[in-house]
Amino acid sequence: MSQVAFYFDQSRCTGCSACRVACKDWNDIPAGPENWMRIQYTERGQCPNVFVSYLATPCWHCEDPVCAAACPVDAIFKRAEDGIVVVDRERCLGNGECDEKCRKACPYNAPQFGPEPGAKMGKCNYCIDRFEAGKLPNCVEACPVRAMDAGPLEMLKEKYGTIQNAEGFTYAKRVKPAVIFKPKPAAR
Amino acid sequence: MQHSGSTNEEVRIVKATSAFDCGGRCPLRLHVKDNTIIRIEGDDADEPDQLRTCLRCRAYRQYIHHPERLMYPQKRVGRRGEGKFERISWDEALDTLAGQLKHVKTKYGNSAILLMTGGGYLASLHRGGAAAQRLLNLFGGFVTHYGNISSEGAVWASLTQYGSVMVGHSREDMLNSKLILLWGWDPARMISGTNTMYHLIRARENGARVIAIDPRYHDTAATVADEWVPIRPGTDTAMMAAMANVMIREQLHDQAFLDRYTAGFDRFKAYVTGNEDGVEKTPAWAADISGVPVDTIVRLAREYATTKPAALMDCQGPARSAMGEQYNRCAATLCAMTGNVGRPGGSAGGGLMGIPIGHMFRSPGIPPGKNPVEMTGPKIKGTLDIRERVIKRIHINTLFDAILKGKEGGYPADIRMAWSMCNNYLNQTGNSNKAAKALESLEFFATQELFMTPQARYADILLPVTSTAERSDLMRPWPSGPYLMFSNRALDPLGECKDDLQIAAELAKKLNIDGFETHTEEEWLQLFFDNSSDLKQHIDDFERFKREGIHRIDLEAPVVAFQKQIDDPDHHPFDTPSGKIEIFSQRVADIKDALCPPIPKYQSTVEDRNDPLAKKYPLQMITPHPRNRVHSEMYKVEWLRETEAHRVWINPVDARPRGIEDGDTVYVYNDRGTIAIVAWVTERIIPGVVSVTEGAWYNPDETGIDRGGCANTLTRDAYSGGGAAVLNTSLVEIRKGEGS
Repeated sequence: MSQVAFYFDQSRCTGCSACRVACKDWNDIPAGPENWMRIQYTERGQCPNVFVSYLATPCWHCEDPVCAAACPVDAIFKRAEDGIVVVDRERCLGNGECDEKCRKACPYNAPQFGPEPGAKMGKCNYCIDRFEAGKLPNCVEACPVRAMDAGPLEMLKEKYGTIQNAEGFTYAKRVKPAVIFKPKPAAR
Repeated sequence: MQHSGSTNEEVRIVKATSAFDCGGRCPLRLHVKDNTIIRIEGDDADEPDQLRTCLRCRAYRQYIHHPERLMYPQKRVGRRGEGKFERISWDEALDTLAGQLKHVKTKYGNSAILLMTGGGYLASLHRGGAAAQRLLNLFGGFVTHYGNISSEGAVWASLTQYGSVMVGHSREDMLNSKLILLWGWDPARMISGTNTMYHLIRARENGARVIAIDPRYHDTAATVADEWVPIRPGTDTAMMAAMANVMIREQLHDQAFLDRYTAGFDRFKAYVTGNEDGVEKTPAWAADISGVPVDTIVRLAREYATTKPAALMDCQGPARSAMGEQYNRCAATLCAMTGNVGRPGGSAGGGLMGIPIGHMFRSPGIPPGKNPVEMTGPKIKGTLDIRERVIKRIHINTLFDAILKGKEGGYPADIRMAWSMCNNYLNQTGNSNKAAKALESLEFFATQELFMTPQARYADILLPVTSTAERSDLMRPWPSGPYLMFSNRALDPLGECKDDLQIAAELAKKLNIDGFETHTEEEWLQLFFDNSSDLKQHIDDFERFKREGIHRIDLEAPVVAFQKQIDDPDHHPFDTPSGKIEIFSQRVADIKDALCPPIPKYQSTVEDRNDPLAKKYPLQMITPHPRNRVHSEMYKVEWLRETEAHRVWINPVDARPRGIEDGDTVYVYNDRGTIAIVAWVTERIIPGVVSVTEGAWYNPDETGIDRGGCANTLTRDAYSGGGAAVLNTSLVEIRKGEGS
């Protein structure tokens, strides 16, 4: 089975949110709490020795997706052909009914819910329509500083190495997130 | 969102771009169905040539189709500024405006008519008030404003020093630099041309050392800087003068370059060494002023002088201050002292970053004609003396003071009515509370707008205009391309919106004005192409250009400002009176204004930290560009708003004694006003300084507190000797708000 993945060059990320807005545009998600792409912020140190990093966080399409295991109605599944983790929104019970078990199970907060009662789970689906048309996910194409890439995990490893850690990110062995990083160095 | 109610119409892909007052022009592929943009894709050129848009145009469709877009003409029914309006017909709206124009002209004369135009739409045909200007010139004239809020200090400095505003290199030239000084420049937020941040990152990855000198550890610094040097606002010139002092004492400066290419270095040297005024501009002197340690100043001076090539990238923000142009002039002087002008990987300074190929300043446009009101008096063109210019025009950052005071206040006219388009000056020039009073005082105010902006709320007549997506036009990026763009009309006008050109043409009929040519949009654009040598030089096939929406200009090598003047000075003098880079300018000396010295100098100013007012208002406030809107444009777009809260940056050193914690609602205030805003307690700003991004919408409550957090509620409506809008020289105090 092949496994798609993301590459994220944290040393380039300016935290601009172009990826996040491009995701909302392509997937037609209103402003509000449902964010398939999130930007995490880290700041430490003291003026003038300050460290700042950003971490783009979509769904990492884990090799062992705990969200799927946590779903009481099997609405989340991992596609055999490419490893993309998708949700069947018809089958999803909605946020009230199951108390967002998938979101609580995910170490990266990838499953997202809109604000309305009964909102169905939504999350990054690797822009599956673009993927099937041979295009990159919209976040990758949107990055003004080319900090992201996407493709089969093995290919990304060849291209970018095998580092799977970054500032603000912990590799969870139990789920095996499909991501390669160029982390931001702690200090120059 | 916009997918509902769709028909079977195929999705069309329209090649377009935006016309915001933004330094980028990014190819957009708009997916259009049923007169609605349903999705957006960016440039599809092969890498590495893709011109990638920022988050703002990723949210473009939410702007174009925003439910708060003005869709029909309205007239005021409540008190001025109250925001109560009633729908009217176009006929009634235009009759009212035409009637007022005639009435004011008859009763007070043409100079009582103020035309307010701006950068809200930057392109060839529908640009700003081009059509209105043409119409009013045929109507007998009008009074208007002078100066660019963003860049006037840098423009003045570049014209003084070089006689040219084309002081930039094409961005890929940064790859040739070994050292890059980001001096008040944050291209991660302020788009100085599409892809600029990307090229800067590549330069860093290519081994350039990057140092950021700025009151803030901004996102550019956080991404690429090896070192952040926090500096107090308004003191950049002092630190630069001290760096010059170190270079001169240690003989690190390039005397041969100075001898050959510059005029007046000795005068500057006399100032720096203290021979002129008895005060040597030592690192210790500058450290006390700027807050930058002595060792850092000495080290940076040595590093900048000895690393070749090195690019000192100054910009326009620090120049929007009480003696702002001195910063750009002093930066350019350091560029000459280190022999980096005209050299690949170097820089000329000057803060404008434009290159002469496909520059926005060379865009064709509607011929405005001559303004009868401005026929007499001094010639404005070519002078560096701002006082000459403001005999005929009002400086943009005193526009509202001029409305209130008129000729008695020393302004060129007594204004009775204003007609406005492509601007939100109440929000975007100094002292918004005064601006509100000025607009209340007018006999009549009409505005063309897309949204109910803070300024539009004061209108008597509101005319809804089309957005960029509802127009075709020729577009260019601010500073450089090198590329030219054609934005294709994607949508039929929404609601009852008309474009500014149509409005002017219909008014021309109502005013019985002959000679206001009413070409169609297509005819105008064809005319521009046919008559523009600049466009024709690069483009053979206009139809293909329209189809593709972009023409990329291939460069054999990166553009380097003044390369000809440096490589072959005998045949290519600088466009200054001396033909050299003027470190001393006789034209400026002739102005005889102490605040506008003929060599670049640091001086203490009103509302810096030495002002006695600092006892009452001890914090300096800066007002940088926002990332998630274009100045005040796109303010309503929810996809953008949610990416970043509007907050005042404050260092823990300043927050702690005031009992302010991160996330508290605070009041930032001075004698000009009070804003309510959320505090962001962060180490990313130098103590003693707070930062509020400009462009949030002014929204005073019944007690006068601006709940919108508009930075300009606190700024001064004044300008520097070089004409810079003084928007980064304000003293404020902060207190914790109730309930936080």
